[in-house]
Amino acid sequence: MASRAHLWFVAPALILMVLILLLPIALAGALSFTDYSLGNSGASFVGTENYERIFTRSTYEKMFIATFRYVGVVVPLSVGLGLGAALLIHSLTRFGALYKTIYFLPVMAALIAMAIVWEFALHPTIGIVNATLERGCGTFLEAWPWYAKGCDRTFPLWLTDRDYAIWTVAFIGVWQAFGFNMVLYLAGLTSIPRALYHAAEMDGATSGWDRFRLVTWPMLGPTTVFVVTISIIRSFQVFDTVEAFYPQGGGPSKSVYVMMFAIYEKAIQQNLMGIGAAITMIFLVFVMVLTLIQRWLVERRTHYG
Amino acid sequence: MSAIALEGIEKSFGATRVLGGVDLDIRAGEFLTLVGPSGCGKSTLLRILAGLEAPDRGRVLIGGAEVTGLRAAARNLAMVFQSYALYPHLTVAENMMTPLKLRDLPRAARLPVLGPLLARDRYRALRAEVDRTARILKIEPLLDRKPGQLSGGQRQRAALGRAMVRNPVAFLMDEPLSNLDAALRVHMRAELSELHRRLGTTFVYVTHDQAEALTMSDRMAVMQDGAILQTGAPEEVYADPDSLDVARFVGSPAINILPGRIDGTGGLGALGTALGRFRTTDAQKVAIGLRPEHLSLAPAGASGFEGAVRHRENLGADVFLHVDVEGIDRPVVLRTTPTETRDLAIGAAVGIDADARAALVFDETGRRLRFEAAELVRIA
Ligand SMILES: Nc1ncnc2c1ncn2[C@@H]1O[C@H](COP(=O)(O)OP(=O)(O)OP(=O)(O)O)[C@@H](O)[C@H]1O
Ligand SMILES: [Mg+2]
Repeated sequence: MASRAHLWFVAPALILMVLILLLPIALAGALSFTDYSLGNSGASFVGTENYERIFTRSTYEKMFIATFRYVGVVVPLSVGLGLGAALLIHSLTRFGALYKTIYFLPVMAALIAMAIVWEFALHPTIGIVNATLERGCGTFLEAWPWYAKGCDRTFPLWLTDRDYAIWTVAFIGVWQAFGFNMVLYLAGLTSIPRALYHAAEMDGATSGWDRFRLVTWPMLGPTTVFVVTISIIRSFQVFDTVEAFYPQGGGPSKSVYVMMFAIYEKAIQQNLMGIGAAITMIFLVFVMVLTLIQRWLVERRTHYG
Repeated sequence: MSAIALEGIEKSFGATRVLGGVDLDIRAGEFLTLVGPSGCGKSTLLRILAGLEAPDRGRVLIGGAEVTGLRAAARNLAMVFQSYALYPHLTVAENMMTPLKLRDLPRAARLPVLGPLLARDRYRALRAEVDRTARILKIEPLLDRKPGQLSGGQRQRAALGRAMVRNPVAFLMDEPLSNLDAALRVHMRAELSELHRRLGTTFVYVTHDQAEALTMSDRMAVMQDGAILQTGAPEEVYADPDSLDVARFVGSPAINILPGRIDGTGGLGALGTALGRFRTTDAQKVAIGLRPEHLSLAPAGASGFEGAVRHRENLGADVFLHVDVEGIDRPVVLRTTPTETRDLAIGAAVGIDADARAALVFDETGRRLRFEAAELVRIA
């Protein structure tokens, strides 16, 4: 007769996982097919209506556009800048720790507090950004049509301009995220064996680019997969900047109406649990797909054993 | 093929002086071993020769031309690293092709996907080079594997292959066998010697293992504390060391050192036994080195030295007997045969014969004393 002992070993982990992970997801999944709202005693099954709404209404179209724009800007830039900063700092013999701290500050700072600073800096009339831009008027910079137009009329309103808002928020997202990626890349860089660079030199890799192609980039492969995945997930989760700048509404013409904010607005502010749960499920699917891709990459391509 | 010379090489890391004025001539085509205890600066000297490290002072010459200021990539040397330093993301074939690609192909032909398409013929030629080298090293079946899928010995060969594909002026090797198991290490010694004979290229080989130096090299340079103590053929260094340090370092088991003295008439004695007579009248304290093979077993009470057996080290063909002798801190080791020692128990009293003609005499500073001997006796 087979022993049942193994069940006792697996059970605690299994129960915990079901309780704190699978159950809430299943609940949200179930809710997403109803019109439940908190406080209402009853809820009726509405089928896929919530999902249909998400994929047809223009509000949600804006939500997807804002989210993908944000992710599309923040991920490549914060990863690229993080790598660049890490390479520069790693090549320094002095002051490396100082730069590391400076670039890491935005990661540690509370974004809500920083939002005030950014709001001030980007203020259309008294903000330092536009004030600086105006100084450039009358110089060669006016050869750039965009700049000339700014001098002629006014420079963008940044946070309150429909065309600029999402990009401005994305810029702040990059500012906040790249320090984190830099630290991850620095850790990756220190773990590359120096002998590999010596081997590359003996093999005739004379330019910095050759060394990067032959040693640094491949050796950072596992780090990059991790950094990109983390960056994408964190960008999908962006919420605090939007909430700080646009407490109601998701920006000018809902141009900054990102997913997390939509969930918050629907489920918490408007108490429409059903639709909030449906957005949550879509969000989870995104994250799940990403995680699977990451696992596949790690196992297939960057596993050097 | 060209000779390599190092002249007055000095190197310090911060306040630590690692190399203090090293001179070394390496002949074209020879197998030269740099051997010395850990931390004596062998790797540093090799890296300076390779160009991976810049000396504080001194010159490096290859084929008579000064290359001190030249970067490593421009010196046309190949190196095998202790850790092998294979590129883990590339297959063995790609690893071996890397130096060829970087040296022989223009930048455009090295582009990731486009390159191989643009310069197909050239890639085929390089691949042929790789295959030829792989055949010599018998690693053809491994060419499509990545380093992570190889055993230590196979990795070692792949690293050797990467160094061999282009014809370098010399091969530099930094303890390439130290990560292998004992049997494979002995096997690879023979194989490396064989490879050296076959290629006829200069090999500069760094090791801390004197056995590797003795077995493989044409000449060996013994290093200690950032200086070369002696350079010469292995037999010469073994039989005729210039200093006590060299005598101690080379040979396994290590040479026996007995405290002795030379009296006013030139008489050499150790532990109250006369060993011989020198034509000298400088009375002084000396250290007398006697290798295990120059000592033999004698019946107790019948010879100069006596002691108690402490340990019997059986190597099959030989038995090294460790004997505690009064007046010496470390046990005296002598080489015997299994038949001689079959009945010896630990603690048994034995006598030791010494072949005094083979004794190496060093003065108090460790320098070798080479007096003309009037008579050096075999005491028995
Ligand atoms: N980059 C460095 N910075 C500071 N000190 C160093 C550096 N490289 C080597 N040293 C020091 O120089 C000395 C010689 O080092 P080296 O690596 O040449 O020794 P080695 O003879 O090769 O020893 P081993 O047999 O252990 O490899 C050591 O004391 C080491 O601590
Ligand atoms: Mg070393």
